[in-house]
Amino acid sequence: MKLSGFYLPAFVSLTLVLILSQPITSFSQTNEKFTVNGTITDASNGESLIGATVFIKSLGTGTSSNLYGFYALTLEAGSYELEFRYISYESKTVTINLQADQTLDLELSPVAQNLEEVVITETAIDENISNIEIGVNKLDINRIRKMPALFGEVDVIKSIQLLPGVTSVGEGASGFNVRGGNVGQNLVLLDEAPVYNSSHLFGFLSVFNPDAVKDVKLYKGGIPARYGGRLSSILDVRMKEGNNKELDVNGGVGLIFSRLAIEAPIVKDKASFIIAGRRSYGDLFAKAFTDVLDDGAALNFWDITMKANYNLNAKNRLFVSGYLGRDKFLFDANQGFSWGSRTTTARWNHIFNKRTFANFTFVFSDYDYSIKFGEDNVNRFDWNSKIRTLDLKPEFTFFANPNNELNFGGEALLYNFEPARAIGVSNGEITNISLEDKRGLETALYLENDQKVNSNLTLRYGARFSHFSYLGPGNYFEFTDSEPGDRRDVISVTRANNWESIASYHNLEPRFSLRMKTGPNSSMKASYNRMVQYVHLISNTTASNPLDVWTPSTNNLKPEKGDQYALGYFKNFGLGNAFETSAEVYYKSSKDQVDYIDGADLLINEFLEGDLLSGKGRAYGLELFVRKNTGKINGWASYTLARTELRVNGINQNQWYPTRFDQTHNLKLVLFYELDSRLSFSANFAYATGTPTTFPNARFEVQGYVIPYVANEGRNNFRIPDYHRLDLSATWRPKALKKNGEQRKNDSYWVFSIYNLYSRRNAFSIYFSQGTDRIAPGQPVQTEATQLSIIGSFFPSVSYNFKF
Amino acid sequence: MKAQRIYFLVILLILSACEDVINPKLDSIAPVVVVDAWLTDLPEPQTITLSQSQDYFDNGPLEFVEGATVSLVRNGSTEMTFAEGDPGRYVWNPAAGETLGNVGDAYELRVTIGTETYTSQSVMNRVPQIDSIAFRFEEENLVFPDSFFGEVFARDFVGSGDTYWIKAYKNGVYLNQPDEINIAYDAGFSAGGNVDGLVFIRPIRDGINPIDQDENDEFISPYSPGDSVLVEIHSITNDAFDYLNEVRIQIDRQGGFGELFATPVANVPTNIVPTNNQNQVVLGFFCTSAVASMGKRFED
Repeated sequence: MKLSGFYLPAFVSLTLVLILSQPITSFSQTNEKFTVNGTITDASNGESLIGATVFIKSLGTGTSSNLYGFYALTLEAGSYELEFRYISYESKTVTINLQADQTLDLELSPVAQNLEEVVITETAIDENISNIEIGVNKLDINRIRKMPALFGEVDVIKSIQLLPGVTSVGEGASGFNVRGGNVGQNLVLLDEAPVYNSSHLFGFLSVFNPDAVKDVKLYKGGIPARYGGRLSSILDVRMKEGNNKELDVNGGVGLIFSRLAIEAPIVKDKASFIIAGRRSYGDLFAKAFTDVLDDGAALNFWDITMKANYNLNAKNRLFVSGYLGRDKFLFDANQGFSWGSRTTTARWNHIFNKRTFANFTFVFSDYDYSIKFGEDNVNRFDWNSKIRTLDLKPEFTFFANPNNELNFGGEALLYNFEPARAIGVSNGEITNISLEDKRGLETALYLENDQKVNSNLTLRYGARFSHFSYLGPGNYFEFTDSEPGDRRDVISVTRANNWESIASYHNLEPRFSLRMKTGPNSSMKASYNRMVQYVHLISNTTASNPLDVWTPSTNNLKPEKGDQYALGYFKNFGLGNAFETSAEVYYKSSKDQVDYIDGADLLINEFLEGDLLSGKGRAYGLELFVRKNTGKINGWASYTLARTELRVNGINQNQWYPTRFDQTHNLKLVLFYELDSRLSFSANFAYATGTPTTFPNARFEVQGYVIPYVANEGRNNFRIPDYHRLDLSATWRPKALKKNGEQRKNDSYWVFSIYNLYSRRNAFSIYFSQGTDRIAPGQPVQTEATQLSIIGSFFPSVSYNFKF
Repeated sequence: MKAQRIYFLVILLILSACEDVINPKLDSIAPVVVVDAWLTDLPEPQTITLSQSQDYFDNGPLEFVEGATVSLVRNGSTEMTFAEGDPGRYVWNPAAGETLGNVGDAYELRVTIGTETYTSQSVMNRVPQIDSIAFRFEEENLVFPDSFFGEVFARDFVGSGDTYWIKAYKNGVYLNQPDEINIAYDAGFSAGGNVDGLVFIRPIRDGINPIDQDENDEFISPYSPGDSVLVEIHSITNDAFDYLNEVRIQIDRQGGFGELFATPVANVPTNIVPTNNQNQVVLGFFCTSAVASMGKRFED
C-alpha cells in the first residue's frame, strides 16, 4: 500500500491525458463546439428526474441526467434532434440548432395510467443494456407501492429483498444482506446521510417513509468511486423534493400506523417542500382497554421526513432535508428502551459553467439508543449509546465532451462514537460506568471517468483514495496474543491527547466497469471494485438488533477490505424491449472481517477489541433476472445461486464455514396485474434455501446443567428448513365520479393484502434447550429442539390511502 | 390480569411468533469424558462426578465413568483422595473440623481414567459475608401478580476481579433452572462493568427468586409467607465465571422473539487438561470455592 502514494497521482495524470487528448484531436479536424445543458423534471410536480436519457438521434449516442436531473452535452455546431426519455414517462423530441451554448430545461409527463399498455416509444427503452451499470438495481417508488407487504405497508428495505443477490436472515430481522455481506456492510444513505440503523419495530419496517421517497438505487457491484466506506453495497435512497406546482396531500390509515405527507410549492416552480410523518398506534388502541400503560409504558414508533428546495437561479439550487424518528418500548416511565436516528442534509447544486456541475453536501447524522431499568432512584441502570457523524462532500461532474464525463470530488467524515454513557445505582450508591468516546476521521478523494470509446464500448475507470485516522483523546490498549478464539487480555494502556492520531490507515480503491454492446439488444458488462470499511457494526446475534454498537478501526482492529469481480450479460426481447433479462456472476474476497469469541462481551466493555476476531471472507454467485416492464401483466423473476463463507482463526477449527445468511438458492417472483384503471392485483413469491445454523451433536452435564456440545467446534453445520411464502394484494380505487356525476376531488384507494397466504410456518431459527419444568435432583433432564417461526400464519391487512 | 392480556395480545398481533418442537437428525459422536468438580470449603463430603456425554436427544440417565483414580493436591503438598462411592461419584470425607482448605490455597486436580491422566488447577478465593436477606412486596405489574420478592444484600470486596456464584434454595430446593444461574463479577455482571466494591447490583440481589408459572401459565409470587430461603455465595475463579457465563448463554434459551438476538450454539470452555494425548477431548470444569451462607424464613 505504500505505493498508493505513487499510484494516485500517476492515475490522475493518465486520466487527464486521456480526456484532454480527445477534444484536442477532434478539435483539430472539426468545427467549434457548444454545450446544451439543463434540468429534466416531472411535468406534474416539478420533481427532477434521475437517470432520464437524452439521445441524439443522428449520432446514436447520448447522456443521462444525474442525481439532480442535470444533463449536459457538448456537440459540434449544427442541428440536432434530441429525444428525452424516462421510463413510464412520455418521450419528447426537441430539435435544436446549436450555434451557441444554450440551456434547455425540459419537463416530461408521466404516462397516463390507462394508456400504459399502448405506448410504445419510438426508440426502445434500453437503459439496462446501454448504460454501464452492472450489479445495480433501481426501484421505482410507484412500483414498490403496488407490492404486497406485511401489515399492508410498503417498505423500501423489504422491497429490495425481492431483488437478486439480496437476502435476509428472516422475518423481523433488520437490514439486509447483499451478495454475502453482513448487515453492517451496507452503506444506507438517505439523501446522502448515512443511516446507522434503518429499522422500526426491530426490523419489521424500515425508517424510509414511502411518501417521501423518490428513488431507490442499490449498488451491489460496479460501485462508482463517489461511494465508499462499506464492503458490500450502497443503498442510495433519494427523497422527493416536494411538488413545486401545487399542493399535494397524501395519507394513509393502516393496521399498524397512519401516515400523512404534505408537499407544496413555496414559490411556484422555484421552491417547494415536503413534510411526511408516520405514527404507530398499537399502544393507543391498548390504552383504550387497559390502564397498565398509564404509568408511562409505550410501544410505538414515529418518524418525520422533511425536505425543502429552492431554485435560486438557473445556476444555483439549494436543498435541505432531514429525518427524525424514534422507536419506544417502555415498560413504564422509568424502564425500557428506545432508539432513533436523526439526519440533516444541506446541499447546494451549482453550475460552474456550461460543462461543470457541482454539488456540495453537508450532512449531520446520528443514531442513539437508551436502556433504562430500575423502578426507583435507589436502584437504577441508565445507559445511552450513540454514533454521530459530520460529513462534508464536494462533488463535481465535468461533461468534457459527449464521450467523456468526469466525476471527481472528496469526502470528509468525522465520527464520534459514544459506546456508553451509563450509570448504575446500587442501593443508593452511584457508579459511573461510562466508556470514553471514540473519534475517527475518514477522508477520501476520488476521480472517475465515464468514457464512450466507440458506439459499442463504454468504460468507467477511476479510483478512490481513502484514509482513516483513529483519533484521541482516549486510552488505547495493547493486547496479549492469546490462543485464537480466546479473550485477549490488556498488556498496556496509553493515553492519547486530543486529536492525536492513534492509528491511521489509507487505501487505494480502484473501480472499473466496462460495457460492450454485443448486438442491437444485448451487451456484456464487467466490473471490478475494491471497497474498504473503516467503521464496524459489532453484532454477534442471529439478527442485527437496535443495541448493536458501531466502532471504529483502531490500532487493534483493522479496516475491512474487499474485492469484487463481476461479469454480466444483458439482453432485451420483444416489442419495445418488453422483456429485460440479465445474468451476472460475481466473486468477492475480503479480509479482516470482524467476528467474535464465544461468550464475547460486546456491550459496555472497555476492552471490546480483546473479544473480537478477524477473518477472511469469500462469496460467489450467479444472478438471473428477467423483467417485464409494460403491459397489463408485468413484474419480474429473479434467481440467485450463491455461496458465502468465512474463515476465522478460532472458529470452526480455522476452517471455512458458511455465514448465517448463506442461501444456496433464492428465487423471487413479483407479478402485477392491472385489470382496469380501478383494480389491480399483485403477488410475490419467495423461495430460499434454509440458512445455516449450528446444531449440537451431544449433551453433557455439569452441576446439574445440561450443556450442548458440538463436535469439532463446528459452526453453522446444519440448515434450517427451506423458506417459501406467497403474498397477494389487491389495490382498489373507488369510482372517479361521484353518484351525482361530479368528479371526486380526492383520489383514494384501498389496499388489501395477505402476507404468507398459505400460512407456512417458516423457520427463523431452531434452538436447543432443556425443558422449563423444574427437575428434581438426580432426575434426567429433558432436552429438545424447537423451531421458531416469527410469522406463524397468514396475515391479512388493509390500508386506506388518499391523495388530494 | 385481563388488561395485561390485551396488552400482550397487541404485542402478539405484531409479533405472532410460534414455536414447534421438532426432531432433527443429529450426528452421533463417541462419548466424551466429563469432569464435574466443583468443591467448597463447607465441612461436608465433597463429590467429584465423572460421566460421559450422550446424544443430544438421549433423555436417559447419565453414563458414569467407573474405576478412575481421583485426587486433589493442596498447595503442592497435601494430597486428598476421592474414593468412588456410587458409580462415577468420587467422594472425599473431611475428618471432624477439617475442610478442603482456606482462602488463598491453590489446588491441583488429578483424574486418571485408563491410561490418560487429566489435571486442572484452581484457587480458593475470598468470599464476602451476607449482610441480610429481605422480602419486599410489589404490586401487580405487566408480568407478576401482587408478589413477594426476596433480596440478598452483600458487598463486593474492594479491588476488582472478584467473581462469585450466588446459589439459592427455596424451602430446601436448589434453584437449578438455567435462568437462575446468578453470577457476579465484582458487584455487577461483567469485567467491563466497572462496579467494584459495591453492594451487589439489584438484578443480582434479586437473582434468588424462582420465576415460576402456574398451570394456567400465569406467573406466581416467588415467595409467600412461611417460605424459607437459603442463599450461598460461592467465590469462584475468573475462569469459572467465564465458564458459567457461557453456560448461561448456551442453555438459557427463552425462545420466542428473543431468538432473533441469540448467539450461535458454541462449546463452553473447559479447564481440564489431558496430560498424555493433547488431542484427547475432555469436558467439564474444576473450581474451588469458599462459601458464605445465610438462611431466612419469610414470617408473615
